[in-house]
Amino acid sequence: MAPNSNKYLRNDTGLAYLFNSPLIIITLIFVFIPVVGTLVTGFYRDVTFMPNKFLGLANYERLFEDIHFWQSIQFTVLFVTVSVMFELFFGMIFALILNETFPGRGILMIAILIPWAIPNAISARIWELIYNFEYGIFNFLVIHSGLSAAPVNWLGSPISAFFSIVISDVWKTTPFVTVILLAGLSTIPKQLYEQAMIDGTNILQRFSKITLPLLKPVIVVALLFRTIDAVRIFDLIYVLTGGGPGGSTTSISLYAFKYYLNGDFGYGSAISVIVFLVASGLAILYLKVGKFTEMIK
Amino acid sequence: MSEKKLKKLLIYSGAFFMFFFCITPFVWMIIVSLSEHPDFLSSNVKFIFTLNNFVQVLTSRSVHLLAYLKNSIVISSVTAIITTFLAGLSAYAITRLKFPGKIIIPMALLGFSMFPQISIVGYLFKLLTMFGWINTYPALIFPYITLGLPLALWIMLSHFSQISTDFDNAALVDGATRFQILLKVIFPIALPGAFSTFILVFIYSFNEFLFALMFTIDYHARTIPVGIALFEGLHGQIPWGYIMAAAVVATLPVIILIALFQRFIIKGITEGSIKG
Repeated sequence: MAPNSNKYLRNDTGLAYLFNSPLIIITLIFVFIPVVGTLVTGFYRDVTFMPNKFLGLANYERLFEDIHFWQSIQFTVLFVTVSVMFELFFGMIFALILNETFPGRGILMIAILIPWAIPNAISARIWELIYNFEYGIFNFLVIHSGLSAAPVNWLGSPISAFFSIVISDVWKTTPFVTVILLAGLSTIPKQLYEQAMIDGTNILQRFSKITLPLLKPVIVVALLFRTIDAVRIFDLIYVLTGGGPGGSTTSISLYAFKYYLNGDFGYGSAISVIVFLVASGLAILYLKVGKFTEMIK
Repeated sequence: MSEKKLKKLLIYSGAFFMFFFCITPFVWMIIVSLSEHPDFLSSNVKFIFTLNNFVQVLTSRSVHLLAYLKNSIVISSVTAIITTFLAGLSAYAITRLKFPGKIIIPMALLGFSMFPQISIVGYLFKLLTMFGWINTYPALIFPYITLGLPLALWIMLSHFSQISTDFDNAALVDGATRFQILLKVIFPIALPGAFSTFILVFIYSFNEFLFALMFTIDYHARTIPVGIALFEGLHGQIPWGYIMAAAVVATLPVIILIALFQRFIIKGITEGSIKG
């Protein structure tokens, strides 16, 4: 049997690569080459209708002194921090509720997927209408509850525009966090809670002593997933504010996109490389953390 | 109040909040789409029911809504089918065959999935221009396959690894090839997983925006999220009634999917993220 199994082993390798080849080829052409291409383009002056010219690190030096670039970094960091925080908070509450059995839970499970499933660009348009100055729901509520005498231009000032974007994003992505946390919650044995109840603990003690520690790996995964995703936010902002007012809500992806749109691929690429580096750092962190999620399987 | 009653109260009030939190914008979209005037919240305008917004966006030639919808459905379906099949091929090799690279391939793919789209969109645009693919279906299908593959591979892996290799060995003895075994034995057993994969990749492709914005020019390939995002009025005023009617048409396919296949979707999301 020994020579035979050797032969199978050799066949296996060839066959395995054959089976993996379409996936590898597509990834090489449509992800790997563009990534390398972006890295290289970042060292060039690459503007439509102008001859390309090698610049070395000049694009990156320009980045360093570009106020608008720093402004977009600042916005992105603030946005990621605030929105991911709210998403985890609401996601946790929603997951705790859905982990219980009660009538109507099935409908709730469908309702929670609605924000997740609606395309970002479309939900951005719905929110645009909700924030509408003349006849949006927000201004209707604000005026009729007496909070403000005059309508608020929600998307018109940097701070309210920032929170408008956060609210829309929290609405859209809390369901994803909920689903992941719920899966983690369902793996915690019910007996642990029963035993703790016999020992006379209250609801908050059980949450902090049993739920939180056991859920930690799943929380970290949800946190990293959302962070990686939020860092590259584009479509919601593109549709809702277009980066305004005065560039105050321009995310780093949107900033790079604006240069691509103007045909400045060199500078746009340099900005993209920064997004890419930040996301890679987070991705490596995720791959490391991901390992200890084996425990909960 | 006993703790049990308090808990019940908390759950119900939380559930109500959650329900309205999730559906209010969605319901608002439907209400405005059925209203003759989008500004009926103003004190001097009344809500008047009408289907005119739908009639307009579905029949007006210049809007191209149905063309966008068709593009979206075709592109997303083709992407989802190819991605599920390729992920299955790869997952079969990884779970059943001995070869160097067993671990590197899924890990590298997961790493690739973390690349922000913005870091490839510029060069990809040049590449697709070189291929002459701009404003065609393949310009979106191939990049979408790469977006869906990592998730698809993780879901398929977690399903295939639970299927005993006894099935393979029995079929090998009967003289079946590995490819036949994958198609006729393993895929049918892992059908729920394949289905989760298909639906998730479909929804992700249906929702994608940046690539669709960059790589399409008009209704020949433009997808519905881009179509609706770029929908502007002809006379300065934004036609909210039309936009919301178009949004209802665009969200209908995904809403039907989640109403029918909620379980598969939730299973897919968890398998695609936590098991990584």
